[in-house]
Amino acid sequence: MTVVMRVDEHPLNRAEQVERLRRKMAEVSGRASGAGGSAPRRPMPSSASSSSSGNLLPLPESLTDLLPAPLPRGVVAVLSGARSLPLSMVAAVTAAGGHAAIVGQPDVGLLAAVEMGADLTRLALIPDPGADPVEVAAVLMDGLDLVVLGLGGRSVAPTRARAVTARARQKGCTLLVTDGDWHGASARLESRVCGYEVTGAGAGAPTPGCGRISRVRLATRAMGRAGGHARVVGG
Amino acid sequence: MDWPAVAAAAAAGLPATDPVVVTLANRVVACSASARSAGVRRGLRRREAQARCPHVHVVAADPGRDARHFEGVTAAVDEVVPRAEVLRPGLLVLSVRGAARYFGSEQAASERLVDAVAAAGAECQVGIADQLPTAVFAARAGRIVEPGGDATFLADLSIRQLAAEPSLAAPGRDELADLLWRMGIRSIGQFAALSRSDVASRFGADAITAHRFARGESTRGPSGRESPPDLDAVMDCDPPVDRVDAAAFAGRSLAGELHRSLEAAGVGCTRLAIHAITANGEEMQRVWRCAEPLTEDATADRVRWQLDGWLNRRREGRPAGLPGPIITLRLHPVEVVSAAALQLPLWGSSGDDDRLRARRALVRVQGLLGPESVQVPVLSGGRGPAERITFTPLGDEPVPRSDPSQPWPGQLPEPSPTVLLDDPVELLDASGNPVRVTSRGMFSADPVRLAGDGRSGRLRWWAGPWSVDERWWDPQRAGKAGRTARVQVLLEHPAGRDEVGDQALLLCYRQRQWYLEGAYE
Repeated sequence: MTVVMRVDEHPLNRAEQVERLRRKMAEVSGRASGAGGSAPRRPMPSSASSSSSGNLLPLPESLTDLLPAPLPRGVVAVLSGARSLPLSMVAAVTAAGGHAAIVGQPDVGLLAAVEMGADLTRLALIPDPGADPVEVAAVLMDGLDLVVLGLGGRSVAPTRARAVTARARQKGCTLLVTDGDWHGASARLESRVCGYEVTGAGAGAPTPGCGRISRVRLATRAMGRAGGHARVVGG
Repeated sequence: MDWPAVAAAAAAGLPATDPVVVTLANRVVACSASARSAGVRRGLRRREAQARCPHVHVVAADPGRDARHFEGVTAAVDEVVPRAEVLRPGLLVLSVRGAARYFGSEQAASERLVDAVAAAGAECQVGIADQLPTAVFAARAGRIVEPGGDATFLADLSIRQLAAEPSLAAPGRDELADLLWRMGIRSIGQFAALSRSDVASRFGADAITAHRFARGESTRGPSGRESPPDLDAVMDCDPPVDRVDAAAFAGRSLAGELHRSLEAAGVGCTRLAIHAITANGEEMQRVWRCAEPLTEDATADRVRWQLDGWLNRRREGRPAGLPGPIITLRLHPVEVVSAAALQLPLWGSSGDDDRLRARRALVRVQGLLGPESVQVPVLSGGRGPAERITFTPLGDEPVPRSDPSQPWPGQLPEPSPTVLLDDPVELLDASGNPVRVTSRGMFSADPVRLAGDGRSGRLRWWAGPWSVDERWWDPQRAGKAGRTARVQVLLEHPAGRDEVGDQALLLCYRQRQWYLEGAYE
C-alpha cells in the first residue's frame, strides 16, 4: 500500500504536521482493519466523531493557549479544583456540535454552562450512576464525544483504568475525570479560583452592600503528560 | 337546517319546544320550529327576531358545539346502519340498500332510523332517493322517492332550492340560481329541460353539476367512514404476572405485537397508554408520552419500567401500587403519527447520525439504570439558578416548567453559580445575632459572619438582599414560601491556608431561613 503525501507550500509547525500524519494513519488503519473490527493496534481516535477540527477536541479559548498541545479526542484527563473548568469544556464541545454527558455530579449548575455557550440539547445528565459509575461512562463512550465522570472520591483499579482508557481511544470519546484519580491519565488540569471581579469595585476591595459578582477569575495549571502526545506518535 | 338551534338548546339545557335562534354577525342563521312559527326567519336581524318573538333565546353560532352534539346522533345511527357519512352537523347520508334488505323495506329502515335518533334525543326526517342530492331534498320533504323518480320529484321545486343546501353547493351557486330566476327559469324541472351543451357553454362548471343534479343523473354515493383500525395489543396473563422478570417477558412480546399492528397500519406511536387489570378486578393506567415515535425496544422498555414500578410499589406496600397480580395487559397507542418519521434514509444519513449514536448510548444507560436516571436539561423560565433549568427524563418531551422567553424581572444576571447546593446556613451580624430580611426587603443588620456546615467564616463582602417578587398573589404558595431574597457573599479564606482563596457564595432567604444556594468556582 502506498500513501501519497502532499507537501504543502507553507511550512507546517510540528503540531500540525503530527496532526496531519495522525489523520493519514487513521485513514490507513481504518481501511486495513475494517470499520467494526477489533481495535487497531495503534490506539487511534476513531474518525467517526467528525467535526471541523478533525481529531482534536474543541476547547474553550481560555485553555487553548494554556495547553502545550491541543487535546486529541479519545484521551482521559483528570480535572481537579474549580467546577468551571469541566463546564467550560462541556460548553465548548456541545457548542461545536458534539454530544456530552455528565455522570455522577447531581449538583452541577448547568445554567453556568449555558452562559459559557453550551447547547443543552446535546447534553445529558446522569445524576446517580449507581454503584459503578465507570461502567456507565464506558457505555456512554459508544456514542458521545465527551463524558465528564465524577468519581465521588472513589479510586479505580489500574487494570480497569487501562481498559477504559483503551476503549475511550478506540471510540474517540474524551473522558474527563473529576473528584478522583485515574491511573495513566494523559493530562491533568488543575484550576482554582484566584479572585472575583465585582462590578463597581474597580481595582480596590469591593464595598460591602454594593455591586455584584461579574466574573470569576481562574488560574489553571496543566500537568503530567499533556505535552507528551507529539512524542508518542513516532513510536 | 335547524340543527344549530337544536344543539344550542341542548347545550343550554332548554326543552326542544322553546324558541331558539342562532345568530352569526347579527343575522339569524338557524331557528327552532317554535321560533319559526312565531315568524322568525333565517336572515333576519337579531333585533327583529326578538321583536317578532320576544321570549326567544338568542345564542351565538358555534360550529364546534353543533358538531359535538351531533356526534351522539351519528353514534346512534351507526348502531342501526353503520358507515354513515356526515355532510355537515345535522345532515347524515347513508346507503340504504343493505339496510332496506335487512329491515324488510325502505319504509321500515327509515322508521328504525327515526326511532334511533329519537332515542338519542333529537328529531329527524328521513328522505330516500336514487341520488345523494335528491335524497337531501327528499329528507326536507320527508319523502321516499320511488326508484327512477328523482327528476320528477325535483321538477316542481323552485330554482332557488339549487342553492339551499350549502354542503352540496359550490360557493357561486346563489348567483347561478338568481341568474336563472331572472332569465325566467323558475323551477328545477325547467332547468333540467335545457340541453347540457347550452348550460355548459353559457354558465360555469358548477352549473354542469347543478344540471346533473336537476336531471337526477348519478353522482357520487355516500362514502361512510371506516371504523378506525384497532391497534391495541392485549395479552391475557396465565398464570397472573406477579414478578418483574415475568412482566419484562410479557412486555417484550406485547411490544412486538403492538408494533406489528402499527407497522401494518403504517403509523408510529408517540403516546402509549399501558393498562393493567389485576386479579381482583382493579384497573391501572398510565400514559407514556414521548418526543419521538417509539421503537419496539423503547415500547418494551416502557412496559417493563411501568410494571416494575407497579409491582415494586406493591411489594413495599405503597399506595399507588397494584392491588394484585396482573391478569390482563393492554397497550393502547393514544397518539399516532405517520411512520415516515421512523423511516431511516436508504443512502447516507439524514444528517443527525451523531445524534442518533449519542441517543442510542444514552438509551442503553437508561435501560441499565432505570427511566429516571438519564435526565435531559432544557432552559426554563425563573429567577434562581436552579429553577432556570428543567430536567426531563430522556425520551419524554422536553417541556420547560415555565416559559423562558417571558420577561423575568429580578432574574440574577451572569455569571451563575457552577455548583448548586441547598444547605441551611446561618447569617450572623457583628454581635452574633441572626440576620433576617425585613418586610421592606432590607437586612435587619449588616451581616458579618456565615455559619454553616463546612462553610463558615467572616464575610469579606456581601451584596443584596435582592428580594424575589413572586407568587404573593397565590395564597397557597406564598403562605408557604414567605419572603424570598438572594444575597451574594464573599467568604474570607480560613486563616493559615493560604492556597485557598476567597469563596463566592449565593445565599437564598426563604421561610425565615438562609440556604446556601450555589457556589461560584
